[in-house]
Amino acid sequence: MVKLTTKNVLSEKEFQLISIREEVIKAVEESGIQNGIVLVMSAHTTAGVMVNEDLECLHVDMEKMLDKMAPVVADYAHSHYLPSYGATGGNAPGHLKQMLTGYEVVFPVIEGKALIRFAQDIYFAEFDGPQLRTYYIEVMGE
Amino acid sequence: MSMVIDVHVHPGFYEKISQDKQEIEFRKKHAHWDLMSPFPVELTRAQMKFANVDKLVLLPMDLTTSAGGWVVSNDQICTMVEEAPDIFFGFASVDPYREDALDVLEHAFKDQKLMGLYLNPSKQAFFPDDPMMDRIYEKCIEYDKPIIFSAGMSFCDDCLMKYGKPLNFEPVAIKYPKLRICIGHMGWPFIFDTAAMLLKYPNVYADTSMLYMDSPEQFMHDVFMKQYGRLWLDNDLGDKIMFGSNNPRFRTARIKRGLESLDIRPETLEKILGGNAERFLGLEVK
Repeated sequence: MVKLTTKNVLSEKEFQLISIREEVIKAVEESGIQNGIVLVMSAHTTAGVMVNEDLECLHVDMEKMLDKMAPVVADYAHSHYLPSYGATGGNAPGHLKQMLTGYEVVFPVIEGKALIRFAQDIYFAEFDGPQLRTYYIEVMGE
Repeated sequence: MSMVIDVHVHPGFYEKISQDKQEIEFRKKHAHWDLMSPFPVELTRAQMKFANVDKLVLLPMDLTTSAGGWVVSNDQICTMVEEAPDIFFGFASVDPYREDALDVLEHAFKDQKLMGLYLNPSKQAFFPDDPMMDRIYEKCIEYDKPIIFSAGMSFCDDCLMKYGKPLNFEPVAIKYPKLRICIGHMGWPFIFDTAAMLLKYPNVYADTSMLYMDSPEQFMHDVFMKQYGRLWLDNDLGDKIMFGSNNPRFRTARIKRGLESLDIRPETLEKILGGNAERFLGLEVK
């Protein structure tokens, strides 16, 4: 059996970690699936889904580390006019940060609950905001 | 402190005025937009809050005689201003070839209280000094309404750039010294002609809605610090250039970020981000 939940979120900053742990827990419980896996996935290429501990100091470190690896200003090949959009590519750092963090996470589902440990918060990770974003929670199993 | 005003925004994907899919396709085709989709005003608010921008000037475009429609109509601009009057200023547009152009303008200024006029010489295929434009300019002067012209390069396939060269506006600036006009997009790539127009004519302004290559920081630095002399903004043109983004083609926050990265005096930046627009739009207390 497969149950898909689609969620929207309005980010408010260019870089923002938005906790979606409770949404994932709820979607699993409401799915009726007892054993299997839950996939949480971003619908975008400049925003990801990631797992880490919910500590503000870590959020600061993650943002700084990602900014060092993909700084706002650099000689990005993506920064040119894109006829397919009718716009100039201005979000190369967002694409690269999403590549670094990934766009999906998976957890086991056992006896109707997602097996998420205490320190594992699940984030929708915005790297190109503010934007209206979508992510998917898909529970698969029996 | 002046307001921070983005004077060049095309609301082609604002949800409230984007219910008709055919109309969206019309806008995309005629404004050379693609892969963009409607979004709610809450997102615009979030983006403005993030960028510390107070107001957006919303621009329609009337293509009635050439294409049979509008890329956002005057009525739709009014709808958005009514929806969020705290963040939007509305401009009108008119197709100069319309027989009823003056009626459209009279209604826009007198009844709809729109703040100015947007014209796109390349897209609407007219030279700014064409005698048919006189009645339109005179109507703007009658109501003390400024005009923002799209100028310089246009991405649209059916647009000839010859119509939008900055020096084309010189006869208008001379003939109508009371008419405030803005050379949109800095008239890029003809930026030196634009500089001459800004220096010479008190009623001529320009806006920064350009990002044709590179990042905002790199492009603004190249144009304003390298191609222009390093001190031109601070010493010569700082009272005439207004912050504009050309959103949705270029994001408001990113163009602002590019301007904020320039090595110019804080007071020059404040004028560019809003002070000059307040004067251009007629918002200053006289």
